[in-house]
Amino acid sequence: MENKELLKQRVEELAARVSGEVKESFGVFILKVKAPYIIETLTAAKSFTDVPCDFLHDLGGLDLGDHFEVVYQLSSLRGPQLLRVKAIVDRENPVIDSVTRIWQGANFLEREAYDMFGIIFKGHPNLKRIYLWDDFEGYPLRKDYVTEPIEVRNIVRTRIEGE
Amino acid sequence: MAIENTQELILNMGPQHPSTHGLFRMIVHLEGETVTKIIPKIGYLHRGMEKLAESRTYSQFIPYTDRLDYLASPHNNWAYVQTVEKLMGVEVPERAEYLRVIFGELARIASHHIMIASTALDFGGSTPWFYLFRDRERILDMFEMTSGSRLTVNIMRIGGMCAEPPAEFWPALQSFLDDSPEMLEEYYGIFFGNEIAQARLKNIGILPKELAENLSITGPILRASGVNYDVRKAEPYSIYNRFDFKVPVRTGCDSFDRTMIRMDEIMESLKIIRQAVRDIPEGPIMAKIPKVIKPPVGEVYHRVENPKGELGFYIVSDGTTKPSRVRIRSGSFINLQMLPIVAVGWKIQDLIAIFATMDAVLGEVDK
Repeated sequence: MENKELLKQRVEELAARVSGEVKESFGVFILKVKAPYIIETLTAAKSFTDVPCDFLHDLGGLDLGDHFEVVYQLSSLRGPQLLRVKAIVDRENPVIDSVTRIWQGANFLEREAYDMFGIIFKGHPNLKRIYLWDDFEGYPLRKDYVTEPIEVRNIVRTRIEGE
Repeated sequence: MAIENTQELILNMGPQHPSTHGLFRMIVHLEGETVTKIIPKIGYLHRGMEKLAESRTYSQFIPYTDRLDYLASPHNNWAYVQTVEKLMGVEVPERAEYLRVIFGELARIASHHIMIASTALDFGGSTPWFYLFRDRERILDMFEMTSGSRLTVNIMRIGGMCAEPPAEFWPALQSFLDDSPEMLEEYYGIFFGNEIAQARLKNIGILPKELAENLSITGPILRASGVNYDVRKAEPYSIYNRFDFKVPVRTGCDSFDRTMIRMDEIMESLKIIRQAVRDIPEGPIMAKIPKVIKPPVGEVYHRVENPKGELGFYIVSDGTTKPSRVRIRSGSFINLQMLPIVAVGWKIQDLIAIFATMDAVLGEVDK
């Protein structure tokens, strides 16, 4: 438990610095920050003294209706600490800094988030669609994406736009 | 001897290629026979699992998880149902936990069988393939007895198991365990004791420890690079803290150690199964859960140690019967990132060996 207390202290210190908010859910601390602070937050989390969260476990997008979130799951190979960092990304202008400079492993994950949510990662070496073909229209995991076949989708679209 | 006026050759491997273990395509730039650049192309098996999950109820999504890493489907079920159980706060009965461990570890062995067999096949050794498939068959038979299917088993439910194993399951498992030391000796002799295997794998495709960590590599590949990390030990889920087993670690960082570590893991898995069979209690195999599964509003991330790497599920619930978001963190997908980095500078036949020892399953890569 000592580890957890220490982590809590570090996360709260960091939250004060990057004007983020801390929550706890199922024993994991969630640090929510605004997109421009993401590099600073993750660099600091990577080098927390005694409880470094230095392993990027996962990265994925999340559509919350009025905004997107990029969810980073951090852990460590040398300790039990877990941290979830969430970056709030604007829906109209979904741009966030790429973390490939901190972890090379973010490469495919950021491409996937771009493919599925259309979130643009600034500074990514090769930001292209990874699963879908290049001229695919739309971003499937957004909540407003219509999953019907393309012909039906066009009919739906003309109806909505016509009204 | 210097050759002048050489030209770079671009070779397109896959998607239909026996060494790509599914539908994987790589565009390989070659200088003679030496690889200078690899561009991996994935998505040929993309089914949009994460999107499908949003229009299915929590229970309806379990069979879809079978199709992630289809060589170890009980593990995928396990990761998913445990995530939902964590979200709902369901306590799973003891017997179900033991059965989950038995089936999970059997699936791990079956998955490693495929890995060793196909690695041998990829550089021309077809005999190990038959030896390992002969033994894998017995595991699949045990799956069939219990769930009715062999590959995509759909064996777990939210709150427990789909069925009690039939009476003939236990003797079959016992005879498999009894024969296993002999089997392992055979694999060792025919594959690892083989001079060609040693020549083709040793010191090929070095993945240093620091690079592996930076690339978010997990699973046996990480442990073959000298990192002692296994979720079963680091963050024991289910009942793994009750078993006595070791985490095999090797420091060679090469293709040979990535193959050998699978052998070591088979041995440890057998040890866990023996203990589980010894200790398994009587009792129910399903918890009392409501007919309509409606987890409370919240989010949870849970990961398990899959044979190919860590499999994580991040589920966001909005309080309805369908998940609002299911994010799948699949081991093979992230592990695939090492290929364009590690295989550069090696000959084309080494590229095949490196890809084989990564043991990527395209069902999990493409989701």
